[in-house]
Amino acid sequence: MTLSRFLSRRQFCLLPPPPHRPQALFILGMSDFSEELIKSTTEDDQGERCELSGTGMHFPWLQKHIETVATGGKKEKDFAQTTSACLSFIQEALLKHQWQQAAEYMHSYLQVLEDSDSCKRQAAPEIIWKLGSEILYYHPKSNVEAFNTFADRMKNIGVMNYLKISLQHALYLLHHGMLEDANRNLSQAETWRYGEKSSSQEVLINLIQAYKGLLQYYAWSKKKMELSQLDKDDYAYNTASQNMLDHSWKTSVNLGALIQIPGVWDPFVKGYVEMLEFYGDQDGAREVLTNYAYDEKFPSNPNAHIYLYNFLKREKAPREKLISVLKILYQIVPSHKLMLEFHRLLRKSEKEEHHKLGLEVLFGVLDFAGCTKNITAWKYLAKYLRQTLMGSHLAWVQEEWSSRKNWWPGFHFSYFWAKSDWKEDKALACEKALVAGVLSGKGCRYFRYISKQDHQVFRKKIKRMKKLVKKYSIVNPGL
Amino acid sequence: MDFPGSLRPTVFMTGPLGLSDVPDMSFMCSWRDALTLPESLPQNSENGVPHVAKGLLWEPETPGPLPLLPPGPDPWHPGLTAQDLLFRGGHPFQKQPRVVLDVTEQLSRFLWDHGDIAFAPLGKLMLENFKLEGARSRSKKKTVVSVKRLLQDLDGHQPWGCPWAYLSYRQRRFSILGGPILGKSVANLLGDLLHEELVTRWEQLLLDDAFTGGALAWVPGKTPRVGQLVYPAGSTLDKLYFQEVSLTPGGNPQVLRDPGHIQLRGPVRQVVTRTVQGESLLAVRSDYHCALWKISRQGRPAPLQVLQVEKGATGISLSPHLPGELAVCSRSGAICLWTPQDGLRRVYKDPDTLVFRDPSPWRWADFTAHPRVLTVGDRTGVKIVDTQGPPGCGLLLFRGGAEASCQKGERVLLTQYLGEGSPESLHSTLHLICTQFSLYLVDERLPLVPMLKWNHGLPSAPLLARLLPPPGPGCPRPLLLGGQDGQLQLLHITGEEASTPRLAGPPQSLPSRNDSLSAFPVLEPKSQWRLQERLKAPTIGLAAAIPPSASTPILSLFQLSAAGDVFHQCLRLQADPGPDSCAPTVSWSPQATACCSQWLKALLEVPPAPPVWAAPTFSHRRLLGCVEQREVEGKVPEGLRAAMAEGRLLQQRDLGSLPTAEPPPAPEPGPDDELSKRLEAAWEGRAAAWWERRQGWSSGPRQQPKRHKRRTQLSSTFSSLSGRLELSDATSPPPSPDPEARPRPPGTPPSQELAQEHWARGVPSERQQTLRDYMAKLPLREDPLEDASAPPSQTSSIRATRSRQRTLQDNTAKPPLQMDTPEGVSVPPSQTSSIWATRSRQRTLQDNTAKPPLQRDTPEGAFVPSSQTSSIQATPSRQQTPVLSGSQRIRKKPRMGF
Repeated sequence: MTLSRFLSRRQFCLLPPPPHRPQALFILGMSDFSEELIKSTTEDDQGERCELSGTGMHFPWLQKHIETVATGGKKEKDFAQTTSACLSFIQEALLKHQWQQAAEYMHSYLQVLEDSDSCKRQAAPEIIWKLGSEILYYHPKSNVEAFNTFADRMKNIGVMNYLKISLQHALYLLHHGMLEDANRNLSQAETWRYGEKSSSQEVLINLIQAYKGLLQYYAWSKKKMELSQLDKDDYAYNTASQNMLDHSWKTSVNLGALIQIPGVWDPFVKGYVEMLEFYGDQDGAREVLTNYAYDEKFPSNPNAHIYLYNFLKREKAPREKLISVLKILYQIVPSHKLMLEFHRLLRKSEKEEHHKLGLEVLFGVLDFAGCTKNITAWKYLAKYLRQTLMGSHLAWVQEEWSSRKNWWPGFHFSYFWAKSDWKEDKALACEKALVAGVLSGKGCRYFRYISKQDHQVFRKKIKRMKKLVKKYSIVNPGL
Repeated sequence: MDFPGSLRPTVFMTGPLGLSDVPDMSFMCSWRDALTLPESLPQNSENGVPHVAKGLLWEPETPGPLPLLPPGPDPWHPGLTAQDLLFRGGHPFQKQPRVVLDVTEQLSRFLWDHGDIAFAPLGKLMLENFKLEGARSRSKKKTVVSVKRLLQDLDGHQPWGCPWAYLSYRQRRFSILGGPILGKSVANLLGDLLHEELVTRWEQLLLDDAFTGGALAWVPGKTPRVGQLVYPAGSTLDKLYFQEVSLTPGGNPQVLRDPGHIQLRGPVRQVVTRTVQGESLLAVRSDYHCALWKISRQGRPAPLQVLQVEKGATGISLSPHLPGELAVCSRSGAICLWTPQDGLRRVYKDPDTLVFRDPSPWRWADFTAHPRVLTVGDRTGVKIVDTQGPPGCGLLLFRGGAEASCQKGERVLLTQYLGEGSPESLHSTLHLICTQFSLYLVDERLPLVPMLKWNHGLPSAPLLARLLPPPGPGCPRPLLLGGQDGQLQLLHITGEEASTPRLAGPPQSLPSRNDSLSAFPVLEPKSQWRLQERLKAPTIGLAAAIPPSASTPILSLFQLSAAGDVFHQCLRLQADPGPDSCAPTVSWSPQATACCSQWLKALLEVPPAPPVWAAPTFSHRRLLGCVEQREVEGKVPEGLRAAMAEGRLLQQRDLGSLPTAEPPPAPEPGPDDELSKRLEAAWEGRAAAWWERRQGWSSGPRQQPKRHKRRTQLSSTFSSLSGRLELSDATSPPPSPDPEARPRPPGTPPSQELAQEHWARGVPSERQQTLRDYMAKLPLREDPLEDASAPPSQTSSIRATRSRQRTLQDNTAKPPLQMDTPEGVSVPPSQTSSIWATRSRQRTLQDNTAKPPLQRDTPEGAFVPSSQTSSIQATPSRQQTPVLSGSQRIRKKPRMGF
């Protein structure tokens, strides 16, 4: 009930100019623009006030301190006092999950839109949207319709929030599975223009287009699925594929622009590449992925390299190529699970340096706390150590071991881990014990503990382990 | 480890803080974070996607936290506030009040209270420009100022900052003459230092980063229900307590036996604990030391190592991977790694900040998923540094800039590695970064791009954070965030290994200690105020434990306040309350209120913090205070005190009985009469006339012979001297002050007595003493005894108290003319000491006898032979106390370390 009141009040007091009246929009736009200018100057002014000379740091709690001291100065107006008190009540209620109460306060807070202080009036829609949408998202009696109404009204208060709110509204709809509504929303937002295009506006429009593209991609992949169920000779097949072609063209326009901008665009890139691949544009897909992975302006996103690697793998690219991609991923994320695959590739390679790198990669994976119980990695290492030592590359092992010998024993091969590994995963314990024995000799606590265990299943394994350690241990038993 | 297959779309922009052209991603709300994109196939998302448990709520069992332990025996003072530092005046023409540090007030207070310290060296330098007592002004130079006249003009009774202070031409001349030196040099020398100090204090008030990370730790014990709380307590937080606590299934903790403690040499700023491979370690950071303990299975701490950090330590963290390894940061910008094998090793050093220039020397270091890689943080960003790689290289993990859409003025306040080192933890690559506005979760595999950003909006600095294990299978992990002023927030962090971390449900705020006020009984205002102050004390530690429980998960939350109080709160997880149930209101249980009143009772038994010394502003306060201190029985002091306290007219009958009450009667009417007359006159507004009359009456030389006579009498009858004699003497001059207090002007013949009396005349008595004190500091003085008797550090204080008391004495009853003659001048040096001895004995006697109330004489520390110094040193301090309490300030004004 409160909620409906809240909304009715919104209608009463906000009365946004209908968007189809361009003149009204223009007038509103003008006034808002001038306020925008005012805002930018006053914001700087406030910034200076809030920071302590010298450090440049802002303290949100500075005002509180000043208030305990300031006796003079202009007092805040009653109106400002009530609205700011109301705002803090809303925030408090939200943090206490009292949605009902928050909605009631929100109802009163809307008066801030009539504030005579243009700076505050300017900032109000954003705050209202933030808090209001949060209330509506979590309120137990809220529904999508209420949210839609609110979003539609909020979009048209002030010009600066139209795109942002549209985008978030669309995401909300998307989250609730209402793809068509979301699409309509995004289409509306896409055509919206205000004044000179600022770069932030441009990014937002690109984002909106990209999300639209993503929606089209969803539709496309749905169609693709339908298509795969159809017979190729069917008449319907042709129309459907024609349909898909249209989609593809539109989508590439929509997605292509955004992924040129530096950022993390994983879902967009994934979809775009899938479509390009489907239509046989391998070069285009490769270009997109290469650009996404290697452009320096982009953050070093491991996924970009993973996508490129997967693409190349699908393309059956030469091993050399795959290795070069994974080498970069290895430098960014040496703990990634693809590293084991990387190791396999390196192992299979003919080059000696790749063999050496293969050992390095395994050691690298096991350096990480999250990988200590990865039995495959330990298995690979045990096997590969033996292989390397048999190939008389003792120097490689020693090189890797020298930087680790002062912490691996404590990190991996401690008595504590021997006990707990044996208890939890005996196979893992055996692999680890082998590695421990090879690397730090028979005196290693881990090895000693495991080798002393008597277990009928593992008896044979332990015996073999002891033999291997005796044979390959890099620690000179004489010492 | 698996990396999330698809990250949330984000714009990546490089640039400085507060770049306005970036679409601000913090515009997103908490619900925005809950949104998910349907994965490639839209069919999956058709069915509503209720990914987020909307009603995830940790419901507090009581409306506020309860005290867990009785308050410590030491008093606690909240310290400086903005009122002490900032200019309090109004700015009628400014729209917004500005921060102006009030150096002037502090400086003038210092000059007022410690003028001797401030001006004595200058006085020495300017000696030739002053005509001191007795010195006949031979030169008519304009650059010589007569001290007597000057002091006369200053007129003793001048309230501090009195706007109607009268300025005579002499004063003006003096200020013209001395102004350039007196005004500037002190202000220049001191002003800068004082300003610097005030700035530091003010910065500290705005952000006190000493307790970053928190000084409360929960060390798990043998069973999951038992653990130890480790925290500092005591007035200076230099005792490290180990309190065993058992958590009942209902969530209420029980304190097991008395806490053990370790006395440290400095205040504890941070307490960190980790259990690595079954070994519990405890690291403690003090200002200049760090220490490491190992906690045995029985819970006993065994010291391992103490490190000294010369430049001051700012952070310490224990490795989650290797037992005993720790990282220490110093103000110099160095990060050291301490390992049991290698000892201390510097792994990073950069006195400059990472991203842009920031003056803060705060540094922080923590571990990462790789045991040999550390994060190094300062106010501007966080860097990942490989300790085995070449020094200085590294990768920025977080940049205060447009990459994370930071606001203008945003600074890193806390960074924390969220992984526990165990491979089971899902967030072994996540780092928490807190600024004053937002909270960021950054994955070290994807630097610079925050995986999660949330605007926490805490009204104080978030310096405490704890990520707890999931309370149950599939539950999101609670992340506690604590502000310095006690605000607490709880965030639900979810995200499996292959997905990005998200907020599961809206964050919630938890009750702070302030909310517990309602559980305490209502008190009288002073105690209530004390309780409030105590509850408002900054939070300096946060710890939490989730005891295993059969039914609903329980979270036990402990917080430590700067006053050394440990509070506890129990929270219960409400996984999915129905759509209609709003957050239920809880109320105080009788046990809770009983607990609170018990605690309160103990708190009120703790004596309040000793007040910081504050100078009384008006001279009558001194009067009142001194009167109160005297342990003289009698109606007079009481009557006077009562009269003064009530501000009513002091009448003859209040004092009248005195002369008769004192056997035997004085040969002349006592000075009390004089006093009463004067007071009467003063109350009737005819004080000036009285004074003139009085001056005229006493200025004549007629008492001189008498005085001589009396003095000889005095010395001859010394052995039989008693208070009575003293009393009789008191009408005329009281025993004069010693020779050395007054410098003998070089070349002044002993016969100048008269001239010196002349000097004394007319100068307001308060100022006389000031002058005398001042001159006592002049190099002319030869005073072996004083130096021998009192340690140099104490001399000034003795002098200060003495002068105050002297002031009283002089101020009231003495006929101005007959004051202290410098007899010492006439005495050959060989006899000085004996005279001192006699005089001091006189003084003592005089003190002990019943005396006319206001004509007290005083213990004069500086004049007393060494044997008596100690008792005298004791006396002023004892006497001083009532003055302070009598000054009736509710809030003791802390002074700037003077």
